[in-house]
Amino acid sequence: MNTAKKLAGAAALATAAIVALAGCSASPAAPAPTTAAPNSVALRMTVWTSNEAQLALFASIADSYKATHPEIKSITFESLPFADYNTTLTTQIAGGNAPDLAWMGDLSKDLIASDALLPLTPVLKDTKGWGYDDLLPSATAEFSRDGQLYAYPFSNSPYALYVNKDLLAAAGQSLPAEGLTWDQVSTIGAAVNVATGKAGFVIRDFDFSAWNTLATVWTGWGASAWNADGTKCTFDDDKMVGAFTFLHDAVYKHSAMPGPGTKADFFAGDSAFTVAQVSRASLLTGSFGYDVVPLPAGPAGTYSVIGQAGMGVLRTSAHPQEAGSFLAYLTGPENSAKLSQFFPSARKSLLSGEKLAANNTKLTAEQLQSVVVDQIPGAVTLPNHTSPAEIAQKGKTALDAMWKPDADVEKVLGSVCSAISPLLAK
Amino acid sequence: MSTDTLPASGSRIPMPTAPPAGVRRPRGAVARRIVLYVALAVMAVPFIVPTIWMIASSFKPLDQIFASPPSIFTASPTWDAYVQAFGFQPFARQYANSVYIAVVVTLLVLLVSSLAGYAFARLRFPGQNVLFLVVLVGLLVPGEVTIVPLFQMFKGVGLINTHWPLILVTALAAPCVLATFIMRQFFIALPVELEEAARLDGLGRLAIWWRICLPLAKPALSAVAILTFLASWNLYLEPTVYLTSPDLFTLPQALTRYTDAYGGEMWNTQLAAATMTVVPVLVVFLVAQRQFVEGLAHSGLKG
Amino acid sequence: MTAGSTLPREAVTTASRAPGDKDPVRRRARRFWTMRRRDAAAGYLFIAPQVIGVVLFVLVPVGLAIVYSLNKWNIFTGRLSFVGGANYAALAADPQLPSVLGATAVFSLGVVVLNIALGLGLAVMLNRRFHGVTFFRTLFFSPVVISVVAWTLVWGFLLQDNGGINAVLAQLGIHGPNWLQEGPTAMGAVIVTQVIRSVGVNMVLFLSALQGVPSELYEAARIDGAGSRTIFTRITLPLISPTLLLTSIITIVGALQAFAQIAVLTEGGPALSTTVLVYYVFQQAFTFNNIGYGSTLALMLLTFVMLLTVLQWQLRRKWVFYEH
Repeated sequence: MNTAKKLAGAAALATAAIVALAGCSASPAAPAPTTAAPNSVALRMTVWTSNEAQLALFASIADSYKATHPEIKSITFESLPFADYNTTLTTQIAGGNAPDLAWMGDLSKDLIASDALLPLTPVLKDTKGWGYDDLLPSATAEFSRDGQLYAYPFSNSPYALYVNKDLLAAAGQSLPAEGLTWDQVSTIGAAVNVATGKAGFVIRDFDFSAWNTLATVWTGWGASAWNADGTKCTFDDDKMVGAFTFLHDAVYKHSAMPGPGTKADFFAGDSAFTVAQVSRASLLTGSFGYDVVPLPAGPAGTYSVIGQAGMGVLRTSAHPQEAGSFLAYLTGPENSAKLSQFFPSARKSLLSGEKLAANNTKLTAEQLQSVVVDQIPGAVTLPNHTSPAEIAQKGKTALDAMWKPDADVEKVLGSVCSAISPLLAK
Repeated sequence: MSTDTLPASGSRIPMPTAPPAGVRRPRGAVARRIVLYVALAVMAVPFIVPTIWMIASSFKPLDQIFASPPSIFTASPTWDAYVQAFGFQPFARQYANSVYIAVVVTLLVLLVSSLAGYAFARLRFPGQNVLFLVVLVGLLVPGEVTIVPLFQMFKGVGLINTHWPLILVTALAAPCVLATFIMRQFFIALPVELEEAARLDGLGRLAIWWRICLPLAKPALSAVAILTFLASWNLYLEPTVYLTSPDLFTLPQALTRYTDAYGGEMWNTQLAAATMTVVPVLVVFLVAQRQFVEGLAHSGLKG
Repeated sequence: MTAGSTLPREAVTTASRAPGDKDPVRRRARRFWTMRRRDAAAGYLFIAPQVIGVVLFVLVPVGLAIVYSLNKWNIFTGRLSFVGGANYAALAADPQLPSVLGATAVFSLGVVVLNIALGLGLAVMLNRRFHGVTFFRTLFFSPVVISVVAWTLVWGFLLQDNGGINAVLAQLGIHGPNWLQEGPTAMGAVIVTQVIRSVGVNMVLFLSALQGVPSELYEAARIDGAGSRTIFTRITLPLISPTLLLTSIITIVGALQAFAQIAVLTEGGPALSTTVLVYYVFQQAFTFNNIGYGSTLALMLLTFVMLLTVLQWQLRRKWVFYEH
């Protein structure tokens, strides 16, 4: 009985292993021409928004696509909660339940490196009237590899400096006519803090945790987290030391930036400045006078930073060709104009202050021209890499030592590099 | 394994006897009694205040949740958080999910563990000690060790994002093994005469189990039912891993999803949902607390 | 059989031969299925669901976990690539692992010591007859039936920097720390939350064990002039030592597997201070998608659990006084 049990056990083990391995190998299929029968294709796209207006727009675009494409049975947009979007999408893919199309933020590098996405360039170029040359190269850089585009950058939202004019006035401060620098922001912020007790400037979303958002500051020093191909850590070079010295002094010497544990919400009127994406303008309530200006200049000059989101087609899709066609339709010139009311487009033709202001109730055409249109072409993105979650966590653990009054800036940055270098080398 | 002789089924935990009536208590005893009450009351604070605070705070408007000075009650109670709890997620559906899964798992465990426990206690078959040890291993292996392989196994049969993994694994692995252990302890302690009489009458084992042993096993069965229900109700890692559609979530998973668009906690909604999760089970417990506590005490777990 | 007729003795005593039954196969079958064999068959049948369940859902996955630990896994393509002992080498070189193991040790020890001490203390205090003893017993047991996640969420809410606990302290003029943002207090918070939630079970088990101690022993000891502390250490403790052993095994195994509490309260933070091994396994496997390395860590966790259990069980010969 014992031997039989052992053999049975081994057989079960082998079977389970084979099932497990077979069940998860993907076959990278080349997209076949549409020979799908009418009403046979159901497409699903995962998104992280639950905004009613946005979902309604997607639904209407899907409906007009179905009208001209009889093979499509349904197109659904599945809203995954924003906070765990990456994990949920990964679980869907790992569980054999992957969507046909997906939004992606920092997960894009992992997906592209794993060859999980369909190359879009052929599809888009072949679609009549799509206008591939209308795309800004700076917007497609993050989502391309070896000259192929793998995810369409449907949202390119630059970071800008929001200004609470009322608080500045209360402290007797005002912005210089032109050429605003970070040093000036720090000085004005400190003055506001002394005069009103409110915070000076806040890097929104940083919260002493998400350090990749600090790229909105350190780019002004010409620094970056790692080199161009993401293999070498550059956290410990002089430019980064300069940037972090500025930030550290702002918190502990000048009290221009609130320290860890103190929450200040600009949109509730708690701080003089904040650095946030232009799309956050919807949070402005009008309870105080505000202005939105491009990011201040650093010692290395002026710069701009954008946060991007892409959408791509997953290779595991049962209908890659139909999914690709729908994506081309969704991002074509006509629909891009509709989408741009929510998501700043990567198309040059749509980037003008007037066009953007047509759908924007909070910002004027001039403001949009200066903070969006003029910024996107030369912008860098927030640092992105494969294994983003692990790099974020290891970096944060090392960087926590920075936020103490007597921290040794250079030493802490060196420890950040030791923590994340092994991951960059992969 | 020690085989404790259990008190007969249905007996209560014996209480120490009180001094006979009419005997005057020495004065020091009253003071000591008061000290005891005070000590117990102080110690009870962290056990009961969080629950009370949770229930009370779920009725507060959002801006009063973190008010200082703190107060349990609010001047303007509102049902807003409760309405939001249902609107933000399919909460009613998720509640039903947790309930039906727990019920199904409990019934399955009662069946499987009482059969297995009876067999290990009463029947003789070759290799039974080895098999019992194999089963016990199921108690020692943490869920985190098996979850990834199980995920792959269920993916192979296309059962990801369904409730099947939650039901099958919980009903046959760890909580069931503990239940089998408890049932075995109980059956070992049961007097054999009743069964032997039935066997002479020609009753088969299954009939003996069903008609004689099960009715006698009520305390152990209720202990098993309670422990298993709670184990299934509390599952957190498994639903988080297997389920991606909010419609299928269970309560513990749903409770942690009340975050707004940028990851901030929706405190009052969370507290309302937590209250709705806790209060029914708490009420059942208060009504049946004697069974709960005594079932556990007589479960054989005390060694 | 008709009454009054004389039947051959065989027909009466051998139940296997019913009148008219000439089929030799059936007869042999009946002789084969003796009571013992029927019992054994029933035995296997009865335990089958449980054993199959454990094999399929516990043993096979452990085997698979070993396989995974020898591979690197791309979660998006599902491709496995064999790397031999590389994950195990990474285990030895992981700079975060010592901190994780340290946090695990602190958490487990803290939970076990507090849980047993508090459970025993409460049982001793409630092992008397007075008005309200049932009320208090119910009260101390009540957190056990509250959902883990709900309980942890409420404590998280109370421990916020501007939450209930600090608000009450502020009334007393004390400036409470930001409990969940400082390493030591965060660990303390996780331990306390876990202990308060689960001590009720130990309290009930100890109560039951205490009441199994015959009162004559106490009287005899008192007559001999023993003080209450001596009575406790020389009589009570040894007599409840089986319960002490079992509860400490259950508590420590539970502490090593406590995942939801940490995930909901601190997410392993601040920094790594509350990242215990089981949370680290989850983080590696599900947040960072390092399935191979996560499996290696999980096997390490399993080894600890088994070692501790075996160790405690072996120590019972030394520590446990009474065994029936």
